[in-house]
Amino acid sequence: MKPAPFDYCRPATVAEALEALGSSESSRVLAGGQSLIPAMNFRLTDVSVLVDINRVDGLASVDCDLGGVTVGAAATQTRVLEHEGAAGVVGGLRAALRHVGHLQIRNRGTVCGSLAHADPAAELPALAVASGAVIAVSGPDGERRIDAADFFIGPFWTALEDGELITEVHFPAQPPGSVTIVDEISRRAGDFAVAGLVATVQADGGAVRSARLVGFGLGGVPTRLETAEAAIEGWAADHPADTLAEAVMADTADAFDDIHATSWYRREAVAALTVRAARQALADAEAA
Amino acid sequence: MSLDIDSHIRHSTRHIGRSVPRREDRGPLTGRGRYVADIKIAGMLEVVLVRSIEAHARIVSIDTSEALAMDGVQAVFTAADLADVKTFPDYIPYIGPVKQRPLVEDRVRYVGAPYAAVVAVDRYIAEDAAALVAAGTTYEPLPTVADLDQALAPGAPKLYDHWESNCSFDVAPHKPEVDHAFKQADHTFTETYVSQRQTGLPMETRGVVADITDGTLTVWSSTQSPHMVRSTIALMLDMPEPQVRVIHPTIGGGFGTKTHIYPEDIVVPWIARRLGRPARWIEDRMENLVASVHARDQRHTVEVAYDDDGTIRGVRCASMLDMGSGEIFMPGTAPVFVTNACITGGYDFENMEARTIGVVTNKTPAGAYRGFGIPEGAFVMERIIDRVARLTGTDRVDLRRRMLLRPEQKPYVMHGGGRLDSGSHSESFERALEMTAPALERARSRYADDPDVRVGVGYCNYVEPTSPSYHLTTGHWGGGDAATVRVDPDGSVRVAAGLSEIGQGNTTAAAQLAADMLGVSPDDVTVVLGDTERAPYGLGSWGSRGAMMLTGSVLLASERLVDKARAIAAHMLEAAEADVVLTDGAFHVAGSDQPSVSWAEVGTAAWIRYVDLPDGMEPGLETSGYYHPENLQHQLDDTGKINAAASWSNGTHIGVVSVRVSTGEVRIEDYLVVHDCGTVINPALVEGQVHGGVAQGIAGAMYEHFQYDPDTANPRFASFMDYLVPTCAEVPPMELDHFESPAPEQPLGVKGCGEGGTVGPPAVVAGAVSDALSQWGVDLTECPVTPVAVRAAIRAAGTAGAGAGS
Repeated sequence: MKPAPFDYCRPATVAEALEALGSSESSRVLAGGQSLIPAMNFRLTDVSVLVDINRVDGLASVDCDLGGVTVGAAATQTRVLEHEGAAGVVGGLRAALRHVGHLQIRNRGTVCGSLAHADPAAELPALAVASGAVIAVSGPDGERRIDAADFFIGPFWTALEDGELITEVHFPAQPPGSVTIVDEISRRAGDFAVAGLVATVQADGGAVRSARLVGFGLGGVPTRLETAEAAIEGWAADHPADTLAEAVMADTADAFDDIHATSWYRREAVAALTVRAARQALADAEAA
Repeated sequence: MSLDIDSHIRHSTRHIGRSVPRREDRGPLTGRGRYVADIKIAGMLEVVLVRSIEAHARIVSIDTSEALAMDGVQAVFTAADLADVKTFPDYIPYIGPVKQRPLVEDRVRYVGAPYAAVVAVDRYIAEDAAALVAAGTTYEPLPTVADLDQALAPGAPKLYDHWESNCSFDVAPHKPEVDHAFKQADHTFTETYVSQRQTGLPMETRGVVADITDGTLTVWSSTQSPHMVRSTIALMLDMPEPQVRVIHPTIGGGFGTKTHIYPEDIVVPWIARRLGRPARWIEDRMENLVASVHARDQRHTVEVAYDDDGTIRGVRCASMLDMGSGEIFMPGTAPVFVTNACITGGYDFENMEARTIGVVTNKTPAGAYRGFGIPEGAFVMERIIDRVARLTGTDRVDLRRRMLLRPEQKPYVMHGGGRLDSGSHSESFERALEMTAPALERARSRYADDPDVRVGVGYCNYVEPTSPSYHLTTGHWGGGDAATVRVDPDGSVRVAAGLSEIGQGNTTAAAQLAADMLGVSPDDVTVVLGDTERAPYGLGSWGSRGAMMLTGSVLLASERLVDKARAIAAHMLEAAEADVVLTDGAFHVAGSDQPSVSWAEVGTAAWIRYVDLPDGMEPGLETSGYYHPENLQHQLDDTGKINAAASWSNGTHIGVVSVRVSTGEVRIEDYLVVHDCGTVINPALVEGQVHGGVAQGIAGAMYEHFQYDPDTANPRFASFMDYLVPTCAEVPPMELDHFESPAPEQPLGVKGCGEGGTVGPPAVVAGAVSDALSQWGVDLTECPVTPVAVRAAIRAAGTAGAGAGS
């Protein structure tokens, strides 16, 4: 479990980082390294130049205002989790990060790194899609901003082009009066999800008004549950759970099989999580 | 039964029975442990093994030229280079011989089989070169067999051309009384139970460092059995045993996987000898998952005859072990025999006809893992009892009460010959039931308002054979062990034993024992284990034998030492030997206020001041004891039975679980253990063994599972992302209680306790989840109990039901 030979550089500016990234086709960005380094040690990833962005000026910042939370490319998950203002503005951030790995992993792992890695069972890509996050990217042709909905293309595959670097991600503030629930089934605490759900729900008067529902661990990318979003409107705690569950089943027909779970299990599980989230949101709204 | 422990105790503050702090922990916990990977020798080379990526193939050619051309690569060896090395012995007569070579010659039979060794100046270069050797290897793939059914199908591809089939052994006794039971019984059912493939998974992987100087080969190996490694190296490399020294330094766990002697234990010393330079190989975790033995992986086809009142009349059980390729020394065949020997647990049940079958497949060789077949059998028995209870409307607890061995039934001979001389089989169950009542109440009230959650209880009453004979397992080694005790001129004590220290606390226990027997403080006792040059021949640590073997051998040696020392002291005190007693480290005349003689004075007399010795006494103060339990049998008797364990511990596990119906998630709410390992030397050590064992049992019950692709026999695992080891977050709190039923034939009444913890959880969790979901008729027949398995069982209900009786 030793990596094949590679070059390493640690630029001080984004411009230097981009130059280094452009120097080879198989250059890769090192932020937290929680997925990349094991993959290199397993010799599953061929890396010629490793560009360590941890000393790049300004990339480790976490900025928060009423409009949302902006997380720099080198900001660790722990830093976001412990940020005093962030959870109040984007409730899903804390809810999602609590499911990410373990303390040691979050101390090194970065929010943007998780987005770039695009593991289909990861929480943060689903949160980005659910919350309408925008990902800022720098590359040889300048800067661009990509909506999260367009960013994830397939498993471990994003809209990032060769030589491009995520510089930050902006999570917009969640709508007033809404609650974001991140729930998942994982085999062990801290594991990637077998199946998970990010639900941003607006509820009042004992019924759900609207919801944004994004599943993860189901397909190659975060799965928007549009049929369920329609079915949940007006749903109340005494309504049958089956209607919601069936809608989720319709949205998740492509869920995959692997050694941890079958396709049908993933679909059933997300259906159960959706019902649970709806009940939770209604309870929260009543308590508020 | 009469035990006279007190006659051996010569310290007013008795240390046996107290939680004397472990002396094994300081090193590892402060980062000062010295593992094999910490050993650095000037000029040492790194070895990396090249392993098969095919499950079954002929190796057509291996091109090593590119690897050899790399800077820093010293050598690349293949099987042809090792022609002077003997083949691993096929000692066991009743199984198919595999003629295992240290490096595979021309045919690989599992992914991970080593066929070449790269030697380089560092590990990075060695792995780069190994990748080139791998790329330069041409295979001719052969059809694979990935499981028992494929292996036994008519016309199945054979792993060994000289065998008739893939069946390595098939031992099928016939019991007419079981036939009779089936004729008499009201009903029968058949079922198949499965225990999945797992491994012991020590935190420290294996590793070997070898160095040859002045003709002596020194080998540091992360092994549980240094002397057996020495004997095997000497045999295969054709060296005299005194010229081979095997040391195990700090060991980061073994759990049975390190009882075997692996190709690397031979190849690395051979490389050191061939190149005349020290060499080391450290197993990485990717290798570990395919190159260290797997275990469990048994399938049990049972027929059960029972009556309307729940009485189980007879059971026929065909226990089938998936041995993987079988290329491991010693062979991993024994656990399935232990499964059948122990399958009836703590129950009075003789009408068991147990057939034992071993089959080879294109998977990693199966071998030893803590529990060694016992959990698989306990799983079958407890699932049968629950099934019969459900089919007949009998209470599960009452049925167990009716079946459990009562005190007056002992000594009790089990169906296979196991001899239960003592134990608390029914008492443990009753005590555990008392402990369960409040736990169950807590769980029920916790989920009273959640209609999605069901609560259930599962039971397991097991026996744990400890200190077994190794003869049937290895075809070679027996089952005793030696200790040497010495008192030096300064009065300090040294104990050396053939046992190993792989984390259990044998070092602490040996010091406690010697301290009590010699009347000194444990702090005055130095313990030497795990070094063939410094300790007498012993078989190492496995089979829960440490406590029994250490107490037996240290006691023998200590009594001999005290006898001699007493004679010296009597001479110095000018008293009759019979009047001299040893207390708290001093010899004195009983009832006299005459000054006493200390161990230092006796030691000095024995080694240095011969003028103080009685006339004609041979100098020196070092004695040995070889403990070989009298009741331990090494071969089957005329009736085909054997008591292959020197003692039988027992216990009850009960678990309370909650199951979330909508998602299939299972949570162990409370786990209760009542345990009986005879006289307890150190309660903290025993509790630690139970805790760790239960954690590994839970791993088998709910998490760990080596899965293979059925079409290619390729592993569907490569790392801990795929092979799920429970962490502290998954292991529930446990409540423990103990009985002490001394072993009548052991001088201190000690039995072993290393493995029982692993036995209960699969049976308990499957039983508890089935109980929780009884309204759907769920009756689980295999582990691990995953969320998917639970949901699948709920979905299947209503269509199949749970094994209707005939």
